[in-house]
Amino acid sequence: MERHLILEDGTVFSGQGFGAPATTFGEIIFDTAMSGYQETITNPIYDGQMIVFAMPVVGADGIHAEAYESTTPKIRGVIVHDLAEVSTNRQRRMNLDRFLQHHNIPGLYEVDTRKLIRHLRETGPQKATIVDVVDDHAVDQLVATVLTNKQVQNTATPKAYANPGRGFHIIVIDFGLKHGILRVLGDYDANVTVLPFTTTVDEVLTLDPDGIILSTGPGNPKDLPDEVSTLVRVLQTKVPLLGLGLGHELLALANGAGVKALPAEYHGMNHPIQEIISQSIFYARQGRGYVIDEESLDSKKLFVTHRDLVDGSIQGIRLRNYPAFSVQFFPDGAPGPLEANGIFADFFETVADYVQKNS
Amino acid sequence: MYKKIVEKPIENILFIGGGETDFGLQGESDAAIYQVLPILNSLGYTTSVIDDNPYSLAIESPATTGFLRPLTVENVKAVLAEQNIDAVLPTFGGTRALRLWDQVLAEWRPENGPVPTSLGLKPSQLHQVNDGRLLFDRIIDAGLNVTASAVVKNQEEASELLREMELPLVVRAHQPIQTTTRQIIDRLDDFDQVVSQVMGQSLTHEVSIAKAINGLKEISVLVLRDRDGNCLKVGSSEDMDPIGIHSADSLSVAPVLTVSDQVLQQMRAQSFLIANLLGLQGVLHVQFAFNEKTGDIYVIKVSPYLDQLTNRMAVMTGYPVMLVAAQLAVGKLLTEVVLPNAFHAKTAIMEPVMDHIVVKLPVFSFGDMEATGTQVSRQLNSVQKSVGSALGFGRTFVEAMEKAIRSAHFNNRSFAPKYMADVSDDELIQQLIHPQDNRVLLLIEALRRGYEVDELAELTNIDEFYFYQLKRLLAIELSVDQQPGDAEALKMAKKSGLSDGLLARFWRTDFQSIRQLARANDIIPTYKALEPSAGEFPEHARQFFATFEEENESNPVCDRSVVIIGPGAFRMGDGASAGYMTSVTLSELHRLKYKTIIMNNNAADPTLLPHLSDKQYLEPLETSDVMSVIDRENPHAVLVPGNRKKLIAALEDLGQNVIVFPKEKHHPAGPEFSQSEFVLNLFYDGKDKFPLIIFQHQPGQIRLLDQEINPNFLAGLDLQSPGLYQVIWRVDINQWVSQVDLPNLSIDTWLRPMPYGHIAYLTKVLKMPLGRMVVRAWIGQLNAADRQLLAEVNTNPNFERLALMASATDYALHWKPDHWVDTTRFEMGARIAPYADEEG
Repeated sequence: MERHLILEDGTVFSGQGFGAPATTFGEIIFDTAMSGYQETITNPIYDGQMIVFAMPVVGADGIHAEAYESTTPKIRGVIVHDLAEVSTNRQRRMNLDRFLQHHNIPGLYEVDTRKLIRHLRETGPQKATIVDVVDDHAVDQLVATVLTNKQVQNTATPKAYANPGRGFHIIVIDFGLKHGILRVLGDYDANVTVLPFTTTVDEVLTLDPDGIILSTGPGNPKDLPDEVSTLVRVLQTKVPLLGLGLGHELLALANGAGVKALPAEYHGMNHPIQEIISQSIFYARQGRGYVIDEESLDSKKLFVTHRDLVDGSIQGIRLRNYPAFSVQFFPDGAPGPLEANGIFADFFETVADYVQKNS
Repeated sequence: MYKKIVEKPIENILFIGGGETDFGLQGESDAAIYQVLPILNSLGYTTSVIDDNPYSLAIESPATTGFLRPLTVENVKAVLAEQNIDAVLPTFGGTRALRLWDQVLAEWRPENGPVPTSLGLKPSQLHQVNDGRLLFDRIIDAGLNVTASAVVKNQEEASELLREMELPLVVRAHQPIQTTTRQIIDRLDDFDQVVSQVMGQSLTHEVSIAKAINGLKEISVLVLRDRDGNCLKVGSSEDMDPIGIHSADSLSVAPVLTVSDQVLQQMRAQSFLIANLLGLQGVLHVQFAFNEKTGDIYVIKVSPYLDQLTNRMAVMTGYPVMLVAAQLAVGKLLTEVVLPNAFHAKTAIMEPVMDHIVVKLPVFSFGDMEATGTQVSRQLNSVQKSVGSALGFGRTFVEAMEKAIRSAHFNNRSFAPKYMADVSDDELIQQLIHPQDNRVLLLIEALRRGYEVDELAELTNIDEFYFYQLKRLLAIELSVDQQPGDAEALKMAKKSGLSDGLLARFWRTDFQSIRQLARANDIIPTYKALEPSAGEFPEHARQFFATFEEENESNPVCDRSVVIIGPGAFRMGDGASAGYMTSVTLSELHRLKYKTIIMNNNAADPTLLPHLSDKQYLEPLETSDVMSVIDRENPHAVLVPGNRKKLIAALEDLGQNVIVFPKEKHHPAGPEFSQSEFVLNLFYDGKDKFPLIIFQHQPGQIRLLDQEINPNFLAGLDLQSPGLYQVIWRVDINQWVSQVDLPNLSIDTWLRPMPYGHIAYLTKVLKMPLGRMVVRAWIGQLNAADRQLLAEVNTNPNFERLALMASATDYALHWKPDHWVDTTRFEMGARIAPYADEEG
């Protein structure tokens, strides 16, 4: 059935509906990665957003149990050029179409996605809606809709849970945690406790962690309550700390740096990232709408460890006085290159040092 | 105390060329070398190129000193000394160049002076690569999976292995003389014979025997590495056909569609690891086998040098792989690479991403040989049978595949769907299990007859995705068939890549009325830019392909543009030389300040190199594709190969200014044994005929005669358009002569346009730019100096005494013909050699 995508600026794109026949609102962005559509769709950082895939054929690899980055996708729409109906799971019944139906997410295919992406790269992200009929009502609805800024509250765990292991005790503070991080921690046999982001310093320290990870997550870090900053500011002085994605932005905010929205978001895995100390470059999955504001960085407190060589943006920072560091990109891959997972090795080295010194 | 080591910076670089074209060697090395010469010049290097391929474009490049010489250790050493070479870049010449350079190093003597630096691969690594065993030992040590294999020296050792390894087995030559070929043994009976045959193909008389992994999925990954170990993935592609069918003979698709991100990331990591193991500077192609049931990944082939995938990836992604690889080889870091202004500033360091699908389809030339009464084996297996390949670009798999089919088979008579109706059910099953060259159509036919997707997938080891796609295509064809003249059906068909010609056949009408119906309903192709950022950045894209969507990105170049219709896929006969001639034409038109627009679909030849033309359309070359581009560009002139009669007529009907490339559907004919063919080569500028030189052609070889020709001899010759022609006659002589009596022109001779290969050869041995002069003649810009040169060559021939030799293609191995094949008649390529009796 023909359905339509309306953008806030009035542009309309038409295509065929798939997934759920629902009408949704979200912020529309585009993704240039050529693999990992399931991981991307299920990544909680996309809570409240619609994704246009530059990859023209999506769905050819089906839906896999090992490719979930969260059990419940929070994405608001999936826009592709060509949809493949392939099931690869054991029941042979779950393709991308049925998967989105199941989660009540609408999709649109046979869209001139290249035109849409070329449009979005100029306008930047904007509000959008997927509808059956384009009329004044639909446009008014879109204009009137205020998108939530409570994505973290919507997607992060409200309760603590454990993912036990026999190694170091790592506390993950969940802002919209993707499974990839837990998978890597599993590789290190870490004894993981996931805490809600509303946790307190006391709760964290009572559990006596060997290291803390501030997880990835959706939305604008400034929309989170001030308590989060305070929490980070205290924890960074006590235990080794690693921030990822949103967690990286939070570490910056907690240390007085500013964070600003990008004119056009970047979601992909083809930008080179340079590790400044070694000058070496690698590639990693990025999904970012915000970056640290260069000017606001207090070089007495923080220094830059990584940069994106395409737009020069800060991709990693480290505190001068404490064993705390963070990266903007996703070193766990899922989807994406694996060459950045040395970040976790660095973290575990720091943790081991800390444990040795404090035993 | 610090000791400062000052290394003298490299100044003079020698490229060792790839040699003659053959199965698996379509001139990609030459195209790559040709492309990188100017950028190395601009970086301050002086370059030389040695090759024995008479169709080489690189050795004619003004940006280098070219040496047309046999590829031998002595000749390489001589050029090194003559040119004061301090570094050699062998990786651009592929396996042959690597082996030759390895050999030169092995035979280096103190009196040869200091050893030149090996660029791209260090000598020790070079040696490992040439001896695959050493390389795979290191890969195993690094913890990667390879299939169990062993190298044996004789039949006894081979038979011994049979106790340990189960059939099927893959047998291949260790250190092969020619390109690598794999043969699969399913039956014990074949074992001894295959082993002894393969032993003969090995330089060291050794055979590598490995466990066959037929049925697994084959994936290729291409990466770049710089001297500090920074790696970048250029791209990957998957084969539709499982392992067991040679990768070159399989339909392949990029980007990879049916493999998960996790598996692709592992392959990426393994490719980087291998690149670092080798410490290479440049490009690496790794072929993997993937077992979907177990998740196991095997490394099956490692090629740390330029091969067909390098050039193809460059065309498919828009990322200038060769320009980057050459700079990495001379020691630049990825972050230091400099690209011409036409590229986005960050292109070199961004991994290319694709927002389009490219399908590569092999081209088989069985029909050409069968037409002469020679039967060949059409069955596909691990030995390459295709002679070339064509690319189809689209925004869906079906569209890209349909366009690839149309690119690979201009005239789809034998590829028409209805042809398959004659195949019996038994034959169909047989061919599903033992695929032939018509693979794709057979799969469609099986679906048409109601076979289920899962049973076909089981039978063929082809991913279900492809069957679902073929089912879509079948549904579209059926709906087109049932609704003649319906605009919606037409739109659907055009979106799926079908041509006006095919639709005309479905609807029993002509292509003109299809074209009119399409235009009346606004079904007009939109051209999408092909660029490596998938829309993230504005690029000055100059490569386009057609699709049917909303936004068109291609605007007419200007009113002084010339559209050149490319030769398409490499076929038997004039494959490499057609690419040569088209490229020379582009280059010359550009020099004469025309804006050039090339249409082609072959990534192996140089025609699609970005710097050769102002704009590239990556399209099939059927009439409807060409007409759409002409509609869009409204060029000053269109250059069409002379064998495209229908297209020429259609363009002339449109009132287009058509320039005809004189060209016959060239079936390389030649003299019989005990015969000589004499060929008088001449240049016609539209007014005067200039005799150039006579050559003598005996089976397998052509030599030049030192003989003056009376221009009056050609007076009676009737020629239509400017160009290079040949007057031919046969004489019963089986010796080389220095003079020949001219025959009676009107009775004993026949005329043909000069084959492109001969243009390339004569350009080099006569040292005059014949190809460029023809282009100048076409557009009325032949100058006085040209005419003087043309007039003088006859009276004062000053040519290099180099014979044109047909390449010794091993048809027995590749096609299993039922009798001996003369490689002069079925030419895959050629090389030059000194006249045998004058050697030494």
